[in-house]
Amino acid sequence: MRILLAEDDPMIGAGVRQGLRQDGFTVDWVRDGQAATAALREHVHDLLLLDLGMPRVNGLDVLRAMRREGDARPVLILTARDAVADRVAGLDAGADDYLVKPFELSELSARLRALARRGAGRAAPKIVRGALEVDPAAHAVRLDGAPVVLSAREFALLHALAERPGAILSRAQLEEKLYGWNEEVESNAVEVHIHGLRRKLGADTIRNVRGVGWTLVPPGEAPA
Amino acid sequence: MTPIRSIRRELVLLLSLGLVALVAVAASATYLRARAEANELFDHQLRETAASLAGVPLTGVTMDGAPSAQDDELVLQVWDRNGVRIYLSRPQQVLPQFAQLGFNTIATEAGEWRVFSLLAGERVLQVAQPMRVRRELAASMALRTIVPLLAVVPLVALLVWFGIARGLRPLREVATAVAERSPRSLEPVAEAGLPAEIRPLVRALNGLLGRLDRAQGAQRAFIADAAHELRSPLTAVDLQAQLAERAASEAERKGALAALKLGLARATHLVEQLLALAREEPGVTDRPMAPVNLGDLARSVIAEYAAMAGERDIRFEFAAAHAVPGATVVTGDASGLRVLLGNLVDNALRYTPAGGRVGVDVSRDGAEVVLSVRDSGPGIAPDERLRVFDRFYRVATPATAGVPGSGLGLAIAKRVADRHDATIALGAGIGGPAGEGLGVTVRFAAAT
Repeated sequence: MRILLAEDDPMIGAGVRQGLRQDGFTVDWVRDGQAATAALREHVHDLLLLDLGMPRVNGLDVLRAMRREGDARPVLILTARDAVADRVAGLDAGADDYLVKPFELSELSARLRALARRGAGRAAPKIVRGALEVDPAAHAVRLDGAPVVLSAREFALLHALAERPGAILSRAQLEEKLYGWNEEVESNAVEVHIHGLRRKLGADTIRNVRGVGWTLVPPGEAPA
Repeated sequence: MTPIRSIRRELVLLLSLGLVALVAVAASATYLRARAEANELFDHQLRETAASLAGVPLTGVTMDGAPSAQDDELVLQVWDRNGVRIYLSRPQQVLPQFAQLGFNTIATEAGEWRVFSLLAGERVLQVAQPMRVRRELAASMALRTIVPLLAVVPLVALLVWFGIARGLRPLREVATAVAERSPRSLEPVAEAGLPAEIRPLVRALNGLLGRLDRAQGAQRAFIADAAHELRSPLTAVDLQAQLAERAASEAERKGALAALKLGLARATHLVEQLLALAREEPGVTDRPMAPVNLGDLARSVIAEYAAMAGERDIRFEFAAAHAVPGATVVTGDASGLRVLLGNLVDNALRYTPAGGRVGVDVSRDGAEVVLSVRDSGPGIAPDERLRVFDRFYRVATPATAGVPGSGLGLAIAKRVADRHDATIALGAGIGGPAGEGLGVTVRFAAAT
């Protein structure tokens, strides 16, 4: 899952980015409102983590602008002000959830997962596709009830494919899920990780649609 | 314990005393007038009595049958032309031999007497009466006048007692309204319907409440700002502590702890700056003002920052006017001025990129001592030069984004300058490769 982090404080930004990466998120970090708005227009992020107290264009303005443009992606706001009015203003401007600084990284990750789940239209924390069960919180995958050990990138790919049933994801789309801005994209990395997934989950689980991309065929269901 | 003064008690007492004095004056006036009238009346009576007796043949010293009005205690004496008393109405009343004609007042053993003597043919007729009678009559008349007046005094006192209570009721209502409000409520007390005497008090109270409200508002805003500003470094520290806890390797843990220490240093600096700001708050400091040589002070502050300048590869330049001894002496608070200098120098070093220059200059300009701190950093745009004195305001440009700071340095410097009646102004700096730089000029009144 790829997250856009908008935070002006260098120490908080670095800490959040590192913590979220450890929890399996791909994180891009911008330091002011203008950069956040520009990054949102690229539409590569699944979720916006927004600090309200940024200089120049503040967080609320970023939020209002993206909602005005019809951008419905989940937004979690971070605020250092504990006044109720600030949180109400943030939620009313279109935020989906908030956290008051300081916060626990594990809670932040959990809230981000919950927002992503709701954004994908699910209520259950685990994604179940046929005999395949993906647990984003635990980073665990089970096939027919038996645990399958995946690398972080393999898990990210499977998560992306499992989240939208029937969707075909292109190489570019999958690369976006795997790499942040400053991370070098290894050539044919997607193929390498798809290969790994097929080896662990069965060759038919991920089908290649030539020239378009890849789609998940849930094990135990007849291929379409 | 001294008794509490009461307007009501004092007014009633004063008014009662006034009324009693009034009654006393009225009584004495009545008495004097009544006595004058009694004198006139009784003198007339004496004369009439004497005239009516002139034709009566009175002979011999008799003991009885005197035609005298007992009530008026009249005494009659008659002498023949040889001065032999031939008649005395009451033998026990011995009047002196006295033959001066007309009215006379004489003193006897039995008090003062009024005497009228009349020459009637061969005889001298003398009618006398004690003055006591007249005084008693006057006193009784005066008493009749003042008794009803005296009865009025307690009535008036009672009326005033309750009248004042009624008049002061709005005051009590205001007191109740103020007493019953919550300690947080600083809304003005309603002035409508209050009497003119209480209105100034309520207005003054409302003025005070207003000032208190504004001061409290400023205080609340400051605390909210300070809490917000403190929360950021604490959040950073908290995050790094969590990352250190999670760290899978020794290297990760060391990195997180190093970042944590940086965050703590930042929080500590912020707390120190907040305390410095609080100390410079108007009315907080009562440190005495004394002569301070700004040039010497600047030299010692620069010595403290030499290491920081060296680390950042910044060239420090210092010049102080020393042609005349004492030329750079100002009247001030040395520790406050040290804080001001420290903040200006610290800012200059912080924002000037490596290889730049920072110049500190203390000079004499007429009656003023001028301190100037200039750097070759990014400078501050003219439209932001006033706002940077606001606490927590930080210039947001790419050149300053990575520089840690509390946003309080210039606010503190301004407070110190204000306390010394000095002016502080921002202008152009030295002008380095990155821009024109920033120059801060503080002008003090010279002590000599």
